[in-house]
Amino acid sequence: MTRCLDEAMLQSYFDGELSGEMMERATLHLASCSTCAAAAREMEEEIQLLTTALGAEFEASVPTEQLRQRIDAAVLDQRVGAASSRERAGFGAFVSSLLSFGTQRTLGYASLAMVVAFAAIFGLVKLRTTTEQPQPGNQVAVVPSSGPPSTPVVSPEINPVQVKSSEPQKNRDNIDRVYRSARPVAVKATVKANTGAPASEPVKLIPGERAYLQTIARLDSTIKANKKAMRPSLQVEYERNLAVVDRAIAATRSAAKKNPNDPDTADFMFAAYQSKVDLLNTIADARFGGGRSH
Amino acid sequence: MPNDIGTEAVGPLSFDEAFTLHHRAVFRTARAVVRDSALAEDVTQEVFLRLYRNLNATPGEDLLRAWLLRVTLNVARNTVRGQNRSMVRDNEYHKSSVDNGFAVEAPEDDYERRVAIEEARRALDKVKEPMRSCLLLKQQGLSYREIANTLSLKETNIGSLVARGRKEFARVYGKIGGKR
Repeated sequence: MTRCLDEAMLQSYFDGELSGEMMERATLHLASCSTCAAAAREMEEEIQLLTTALGAEFEASVPTEQLRQRIDAAVLDQRVGAASSRERAGFGAFVSSLLSFGTQRTLGYASLAMVVAFAAIFGLVKLRTTTEQPQPGNQVAVVPSSGPPSTPVVSPEINPVQVKSSEPQKNRDNIDRVYRSARPVAVKATVKANTGAPASEPVKLIPGERAYLQTIARLDSTIKANKKAMRPSLQVEYERNLAVVDRAIAATRSAAKKNPNDPDTADFMFAAYQSKVDLLNTIADARFGGGRSH
Repeated sequence: MPNDIGTEAVGPLSFDEAFTLHHRAVFRTARAVVRDSALAEDVTQEVFLRLYRNLNATPGEDLLRAWLLRVTLNVARNTVRGQNRSMVRDNEYHKSSVDNGFAVEAPEDDYERRVAIEEARRALDKVKEPMRSCLLLKQQGLSYREIANTLSLKETNIGSLVARGRKEFARVYGKIGGKR
């Protein structure tokens, strides 16, 4: 009654790719045609053979964790590159644009922290070569009470060698690339943030610093509130990077205080703050991603 | 975990979700082509980087897997050009994987399985394109529509291509001695 099933039709029948009507017709035909029924049995055997043969290939383990780490790191590299070349219209706009980023990319942030560490070293070297200034005695980093309490500003007498020794392993080309492209942008951001008073008061906050401190405090409290949800590996990475960034901030800040008239030192400090904001933003985002399934 | 911050949209899927759902298919397809787990990791990384760069230009959820696997096949084929396929490298990789603790298997079982994989690969090598890719994708559970999309073929031809590929595979595999 119905036509015999060709090969493609039979294959589609086994693959469940026939429409309801066609399926019904094929089933009816197979029940009545011994030739097609024999062909179908043969095909079924072959499909079974193929599935078994290729099964080993497809059941072999997939290194999910390793892949995730590699891809997160690679994506972060991308983002660091993109972020450093992006035009930043203003601080507020920049921070809000940061909030749209996703997965954890702590590794790349280590490289960003490296940039800051280099900046700190450069700043200190520059500091030594400039004229010896009378020390006002109160140049120690002070976070005024109006500032957020959670900003960890560690000892300003930081040894540059120490900063260097704590650097996470990262390829140097990448760092250089980021460094070169990130610097001018950081300058631009600082100039915009400096609205008014010249950076001359030694004890008070350097102009533009408050905005960073407030942003950092906000992010910091968000992260602290959700720390339990963070993957342990991420937490360790986060704390290590945070320590590097904090040291860099302390070092650049102390340099900026000693040289209030040198715009470069302030730029270094703002770059360090920016790194911390970036790092915190990444972590704030990543703790959600980290909790998701694998 | 519910989350409305920090996810990049891929149609309705975020980048993280896309990875979670599809990294296995990408990795397995890559490994089937490049025959080397370390290279397959490289390919997988490149594929997801491309996804990241093209987040706004990728198809929605229903055809995302097809898009990813099309990129995978391209990247994998480029990678395999000039590469010396050998089991030795993969053995070394596998050993280091076991040492690193992300693969735990008894060595003998592992050896038998790897021989089986190698036999299947040799048979698959004899199947001509695009039938071979059709088989690969079909075995990963792709629909005819997805296969057609991945390989830029007509959906109506897929059934026939799968059938011919399967027949050829069964013929060669039987000769190699896979039919044990």
